Amino acid sequence: MDRRTFLTQASGCAASASLVAAGCHFDPIDDGKTKTIEVAVFEGGFGIEWHKDMARRYEAMHPGVKVNLWGDPRVDEKIKPRVLRRNPPDLASCTLPVWKLITAGRLYPMDAALASPAYCAEGKTWKETLRAGVLADYVYEDKTYALPSNLGVWACWYSKKLFREHGWDAPSTWDELTALCEKMLAAGIAPLAFQGKYPQYAWSTILSCYQRLVPFEKWYGIEDFTKGAFLDPSFVKAADLMQELAVKYFQKGALAMTHTESQMEWANGRAGMVFCGLWLKKEMEKALPDDFEMGCFPVPMVTGGMGDPKAIYSGGAESFFIFKDGKHPEIAADFLKFLLSIEPARDYVKRNDSLTPVIDCQVGIKISSALQSAVDAIEGSTRMYSDRLNTLYIEWHRTLVQQAQADLLRGAITGQQFADRLEAGAEAVRNNPNIYKPPSRGVPAL
Amino acid sequence: MSPQHLSRDTKRFLWIGILPAALLYGLFVVWPAINALMYSFTRWDGLSTPVWIGIDNFINLFKSGSDFVTAISHNIYLTVVPGSIILTLALFFAWMIHLKVAGSTLFRVTFFFPNVIASVAVALLWVLLYSTTEMGPINNIRQALHLEKIPFLESARLLQSIVPMMVWSATGFYLVLFLAAMENIPADYYEAAHLDGASPTLQFIRITLPLMWDVLTTGIIFLIVGGLKFFDAVWVMENGRPSPATHTMSSLMYAKVFEEYNVGYGTAIAVLLFVLVLVVTRISMRLLKRERLEY
Repeated sequence: MDRRTFLTQASGCAASASLVAAGCHFDPIDDGKTKTIEVAVFEGGFGIEWHKDMARRYEAMHPGVKVNLWGDPRVDEKIKPRVLRRNPPDLASCTLPVWKLITAGRLYPMDAALASPAYCAEGKTWKETLRAGVLADYVYEDKTYALPSNLGVWACWYSKKLFREHGWDAPSTWDELTALCEKMLAAGIAPLAFQGKYPQYAWSTILSCYQRLVPFEKWYGIEDFTKGAFLDPSFVKAADLMQELAVKYFQKGALAMTHTESQMEWANGRAGMVFCGLWLKKEMEKALPDDFEMGCFPVPMVTGGMGDPKAIYSGGAESFFIFKDGKHPEIAADFLKFLLSIEPARDYVKRNDSLTPVIDCQVGIKISSALQSAVDAIEGSTRMYSDRLNTLYIEWHRTLVQQAQADLLRGAITGQQFADRLEAGAEAVRNNPNIYKPPSRGVPAL
Repeated sequence: MSPQHLSRDTKRFLWIGILPAALLYGLFVVWPAINALMYSFTRWDGLSTPVWIGIDNFINLFKSGSDFVTAISHNIYLTVVPGSIILTLALFFAWMIHLKVAGSTLFRVTFFFPNVIASVAVALLWVLLYSTTEMGPINNIRQALHLEKIPFLESARLLQSIVPMMVWSATGFYLVLFLAAMENIPADYYEAAHLDGASPTLQFIRITLPLMWDVLTTGIIFLIVGGLKFFDAVWVMENGRPSPATHTMSSLMYAKVFEEYNVGYGTAIAVLLFVLVLVVTRISMRLLKRERLEY
């Protein structure tokens, strides 16, 4: 045995022993033949180092399995032709048109793995270790076809230090938000940075604002594509409020900025706040000054609104799919189960300063002020909710909604015209028998 | 020697020589093109079995409010506006250099320089120039002059912003093309015209333009084809996510096929783009046809 083999096996034994010590249950996969699974990972702000290390740990636990894991920011481009040729990787995190894959029968259901014993959680199934609701987005004919690898929260981010220096407080109502924006303007700071080259960054804020205005019974009418849902006067009001923010308080030139440019403006203190997901910290890590204390607050309550003021727009992100045409879908499901088990999840939190869908993954870990702020928002929330319209109705979302948002934000159309456009597009989708429409979900049980 | 006079061995040799290239061309150009044509008559997401729908995709392309009609209008804009400016400037500067104005050699190199930069790099360079952050020199100058920043890269005004970039990057190529044609015209013609009292402008209209008409036609065809196929700058300046306000036919085709998995519809755009380039080029050549002048 050479030195390298010895060290690999020794570290594998150590990893397995540490997992066993942590209460991890697993049956080693080893029938004498080495099986290789291929895992393609979207290489975004969180990188893929964690994924690679977990793959090595998994190989150490299962000597009969080799994990060929690779990442790329354009992973979709690389695997699309392979999906078409029916030669996909076993497991992938990407943004392929997942509903087309699901309805075409190209994805492997995860239900058997979800019902099996979890890694590192004695007496619990894998499903029982995951946050409620994270599996709901990709259920088709009672089967689950995707699982997010991290948990996103949509919030407005700010510098605690900047707020302290000016004596500003995080707003809890929309009126307080606009009053704060006026104070920032008076202090010579642009109130809001915005990722204008991607107008879809406004979508979660518009939907959050709409949620503050209406009860969930009505809000899920949008999610269910109910006829006339976008014409609701409260939806028009949400669009008007978003437009007011854009026209009055977005940084000058923001509509021509990419996400990194605008977020850099915020990091450098030229803009006071920015609406973004939890990935912001990691994405801007290298640009943030050392003493930058990130804080966040959820989209504020709208005065007179009928919605739940404590619900928060959040949910799974960077979802993993298992391809039915892959060589070893069962092993891919088991590897994903390992990735989304408590020990790897805790490691993920430590390294990426972010959350995963695994329950209590951050408990007992010293986390940054940014993540603590997001955790506080989640723990203080009564419901986590999100929409899945961008994955269900890709064309409607990518073209019609994107353009309508761009026009709304630059003040070229009114909130009513925005709603009319969305409804007209939604009606065309409803009337198109070739587009899959899932059955109405209504308000999901908590 | 006509083909009938070639010996059987020579013919066989020629066939063997042509065969590998013909096979490769057939495999990688003709066969995919035939496939694309077939897919354009189907509804296909690239995943399930294609469903034959006749000419529905082509009908949908021209439905009122269709993205494709808007995309064609963008292509026409990007052909006509920068094209006419490029042609005018290239002819003007080529004529000036031909007249040997002071510093003409330097101008020739300077004007041609942007043409050696890859189109993606040119687009990235202009993204930087146009930036509304403190990286953007144009907006920094405006700010120094107490003028409002202009969001050149905002989707709603991107097509207008692309025009100066196209003019900057393409004028040099056409200048060199036209200059070469001008320099091939015998000097005697100009001397004779000069003795007859013709002004430089009249010489340009009566001698230069007619004698370089073939090259000018070629330049116009290049501009038309380039405008109809326009893709890279829009793609780069929109960060890979063009909107209906900026889509050209090519970017729309790519988005439909590779991002929305609407393969049937996307290939219908590709087929129509091919036909359009063919027809428009043919019509342009016919309209621009003049009696060939020998000299």
